[in-house]
Amino acid sequence: MSVLDRLAERQLVVVTGKGGTGKTTLAAVLGRLMADRGKRVLLLEVDPRESLHQALGTEPSGGALVPAGAGLFIQNLQPGAVIEGLVREKVHLAYLAHKITESVAFHQFVEGAPGLKETALLGHAYRVLQGGHRPQTDLVIVDAPATGHSATMLAAPGLLAQASEGGQLGDMAADLAAFLADDSRCGVVLATLAEEMPIQETLELIDLLEEKLGIQPDLIVANGLYPPLPQGAAEAPGTSLWEARRRLNEAELSRLAAAWDGPLLELPLLPLDRGPLLVKALASRFSREDL
Amino acid sequence: MSSDLLAGRLIVVVGAGGVGKTTLAAALALGSAKEGRRTLVMTFDPSLRLKDALGVVDAAKDDPIRVMEHGPGFLDAALLDAKRTFDRLIRTYAPGAAAARRIFSNRFYRDMAGNLSGILEYMAMERLFEMQASGRYDRIILDTPPTRQAMDFLQAPMRMMNLVDSKAIRFATDPWWDGAGRKSLAVHFALKGAMELSDRIIGRRFLLDVVEFIRAFAPLFDGFRSRAEEVRNLLQAEETRFLLVAGAGPDRVPDAMFFLRKLVETGHHLGPILVNQVHPSLDAAPGKEDGLTLLRFLADRDQRGLTLLRSLFPGGQKIIPIALEPVPPADLETLGRLFEKVSKTGPD
Repeated sequence: MSVLDRLAERQLVVVTGKGGTGKTTLAAVLGRLMADRGKRVLLLEVDPRESLHQALGTEPSGGALVPAGAGLFIQNLQPGAVIEGLVREKVHLAYLAHKITESVAFHQFVEGAPGLKETALLGHAYRVLQGGHRPQTDLVIVDAPATGHSATMLAAPGLLAQASEGGQLGDMAADLAAFLADDSRCGVVLATLAEEMPIQETLELIDLLEEKLGIQPDLIVANGLYPPLPQGAAEAPGTSLWEARRRLNEAELSRLAAAWDGPLLELPLLPLDRGPLLVKALASRFSREDL
Repeated sequence: MSSDLLAGRLIVVVGAGGVGKTTLAAALALGSAKEGRRTLVMTFDPSLRLKDALGVVDAAKDDPIRVMEHGPGFLDAALLDAKRTFDRLIRTYAPGAAAARRIFSNRFYRDMAGNLSGILEYMAMERLFEMQASGRYDRIILDTPPTRQAMDFLQAPMRMMNLVDSKAIRFATDPWWDGAGRKSLAVHFALKGAMELSDRIIGRRFLLDVVEFIRAFAPLFDGFRSRAEEVRNLLQAEETRFLLVAGAGPDRVPDAMFFLRKLVETGHHLGPILVNQVHPSLDAAPGKEDGLTLLRFLADRDQRGLTLLRSLFPGGQKIIPIALEPVPPADLETLGRLFEKVSKTGPD
């Protein structure tokens, strides 16, 4: 079974990696590929400064669902809004719900409580998949936040379930933790660059995912590689730079290969700005590779 | 130019992840030491290569270690470790060893306090303040974690102050909790209702862990509050400069603008903007079949980014482009060359 076949069977795929590694574009590429296979896909973006819409050439979401071609929706989702929505749902009196969500203590709790925001976001994805939501969704792809280790994000529901054992919050978190640990339903894709720090973090993340959650990424994507210098390329100030960077990429890729024998996709730097053309070009590379 | 780059007794290097902040912070610090200043560079998570270059080992998590000396100047490096700093703060402010032990053994502190949002950033500020107050340095250069989302670390002192003053904490430390306090029947039932509600939602054990943590922590709050205020003042001082490192290309400009707006809004002082990893321009005419289409695209893309950034600062903010290095600096010599290059480039 190819990696794409396996991803198409998932319900939730979390795309993660260090900032600046092309995570958002990768999420868009995966969304496009899965939608082209007939899946109904929702792409969730967490960064409040939206960029997913640029990759797909749509309007910014601003929290709303925005169609991005056949079978694909994008949504920018803020944890604060999700938690407020939950309060409104649980507390039936509108006045009381308003009092709670407007209170300083509530905001401090939401800001300060460890793991709460992460749990709320993943919980939202889980609920969308449970049905009853429009549009109906087969697969949610999360463009995870760049800050901090995403292992922390994925481990949050489990920690919260332990800490808050016996409460409703704990029960919800436990459900979610079980869902995340089920590797027939949930998967992780890592984006990286073939440079020292991103590779270092990728290696640490692979270990953390294994140790904290007992899961392995479905795929690692090394983005923005300098391709081999074309045959007969002219001498120019930049060519030695290109060659040196290419060597650096190769050295880092072999460091990764020494620690990771799972699926790895190498994507080259392309002379295209972030946008639908780049997503299309990368998607066709994806399909071409026999992973 | 270098006097511009190194203006300030405290230089805080900020920017999104992956733009080369740590390497530039190290290069600037080395430049400062070579100018005869007693300099400290504080960094979160340097690459192995840079760690080797600076010769820092894990011992630098506790005390700065000496990297090099140059006349009266020298360079020290310190690694930031939030949990260790937190532990040390507790030892400093706790009213006795027993009180400190109570906190250390609290389950909430052990498992979760490290994940409290803003704690990491606050601890960095705390350590910075400690170093600055020691008087051992003429100049401190702080490399910050990539807090792309919210500039958490600038808000960290404020947030710490808010937390200490918050109702939730006063609520938890109030003696009504274990029935020792005296209160009216109405308050009693209101509190009981609220507790039962939150107990049902959050779970009793969690609540008890948190309350125990907060109570163990309460004697430390006064020390924390005044310290957080001092840290905030230090960050806003005239002598403190924020140096923004931005990635090259138009895609990175919104990131840079986000940081800049936050910094200025919150009353911090800006130094020059460093646009890092800019691809060099090709002289060859465009469209030629020389196999360099990609390189030409990258050079053009990075120029577009610079033009866009400059157009957003008609007032003449200093913007310094730094060319992409073929090989990232890996020792003091190459770091030194990077500093020379940056300080000679100047604003274009």
